[in-house]
Amino acid sequence: MDIPYTVHARPDTGLYNAKIGIWLFLASEVMLFGGLFSAYIFLRVGADYPWPVHDLDVTLGFVNTVVLIASSVTVVMAWACLKMRKFGWYRINMAITVLCAAVFMINKTLEYKAKFAHYAVKLTDGTLLTGHLPHGYQIKFDGVTELSLSVPVKKSAVSADPVGYVLPFIEGDAPKFKTEDGQEITLDQATFASLAASAVEKAKAANKGSASIKLVAATPVKFAAKPSEIFGYTDTTITFRDGTTATGKLVDDKMTLEVDGVDARGVAQSEKSLAFDHRYLGEAWQKAFVSNRDHHISKFEKDYPTRDKSKSATLQKEALFFKLHSATPPAEGEAHGEKHGAEAHAPAEHGGGHGEAHHPTVVLEKKDITFFSNFTPKLNTYYAIYFTLTGLHGAHVVVGALVLLYFLVFDDKRLKKDPEHLANRVEVGGLFWHFVDLVWIFLFPLLYLL
Amino acid sequence: MADNIEAIQKSVKKYIAIGALLIFFSGLTVALSYIELPTHGLNILVGMILATIKAALVALIFMHLNHERSTIYKILAFTAVFAIVLFVLFVLSHDDPLTFSGFYSPVDR
Repeated sequence: MDIPYTVHARPDTGLYNAKIGIWLFLASEVMLFGGLFSAYIFLRVGADYPWPVHDLDVTLGFVNTVVLIASSVTVVMAWACLKMRKFGWYRINMAITVLCAAVFMINKTLEYKAKFAHYAVKLTDGTLLTGHLPHGYQIKFDGVTELSLSVPVKKSAVSADPVGYVLPFIEGDAPKFKTEDGQEITLDQATFASLAASAVEKAKAANKGSASIKLVAATPVKFAAKPSEIFGYTDTTITFRDGTTATGKLVDDKMTLEVDGVDARGVAQSEKSLAFDHRYLGEAWQKAFVSNRDHHISKFEKDYPTRDKSKSATLQKEALFFKLHSATPPAEGEAHGEKHGAEAHAPAEHGGGHGEAHHPTVVLEKKDITFFSNFTPKLNTYYAIYFTLTGLHGAHVVVGALVLLYFLVFDDKRLKKDPEHLANRVEVGGLFWHFVDLVWIFLFPLLYLL
Repeated sequence: MADNIEAIQKSVKKYIAIGALLIFFSGLTVALSYIELPTHGLNILVGMILATIKAALVALIFMHLNHERSTIYKILAFTAVFAIVLFVLFVLSHDDPLTFSGFYSPVDR
């Protein structure tokens, strides 16, 4: 059965059916995004931290705005060309629209990627350090000589697997291990399997639930692992995710951070921020911070003599959220460049190369850290609503582009047989596409600019 | 509905002009966001007014709402009412109608 009124208007509504359908759908979409924008207001009014303004990459956001507006123009042009039976131009406009959607999503991916690689560390005094982790938060152990492994007799979720869960974290080459029988082995899949099998046999004979194996390293071993890669640790033991325990000495559990920003807005006396402790950024950076801060404050006093300094969020940010652009403090006088905001993301591909570091590297002690996170929803409510809104919007871009791409690629038969019907389809797809643009028109200023 | 060919032919130029206008307004929004108005609330207000103008242009011209059938306006009237309710909901958290506590005053951010 054919769907009625796909080309001509239904007499009682005065519209072809798909059009009334898409408008009902868009009405529900307005509710969906309306609820989320309402959540945005709620979160912003209730935020107990300075709401980020101009913290995202404004250039990238603006490019995406222009791209979406351009695609809105081309999709309505595609419809008009179809109505005028200029099929070549219809195809070109439609292709540009889909291409714009692809550009938008690529930009979005770059933006997300930079956020995932960028970290914020909150220190105990309220200072927020931003930067990149060259090799993250590492637990380092030294002088490990003994490994105790446990293999359950019955099949179990946790069973010793040193090849998969222990060996990868040894620094340098894995040494030879001595078994309890005095046999010297190189630990690999085959030797461990035979070791485990004989241990399980013994445990079965002794009627025990699990077999324990002790291995003694020929030379002391060093371990380095991220907290997520192990199960737990104390000052003398480290437990791996397969249940294996190593006994040794904790060398350090510190976090290495290439600092690109010091946010002292949460500190009562900003120049005394823990970030400028001699163990961390030190006096030279403190001087640069103070000179930048005083420069912005005096500039504000000159430009806006009647305004309250403490009430200007922009001034607070410019003066107290200090951006570090080089590995060493700038010389006197060149400390306060006119760069603001968006350059907070250092290049994402920036790996661990110590030679060409663009930022000072500090090693933070665990006791000075209250919280750390990359720039993801868990950092704060701003990033929570940012990812919710832009993620949902991105999903709409993808779906809209797929629908338009379908019309372009697979609806050629309809184009030749019944162009009026295809024009209606394109109009409906276009209406959805304009709605996606319309949402972005509000998202861009609310998340990037204001 | 602009269903006759002549009307559509005329509107093609209009679409491009509106697109250019939208990009201009976007640039203006970015520029204005870097200017410090007496309060940041004013910055937000100006930004939102510009965004609303842009949204109106998209809805009226690109989505043809400047000449649609009455059925669609009727649907949208309901949407508008519900959307307004959604945006007013947060006020309830601010001025609690049961205890009239008003748990904090909005800070100028």
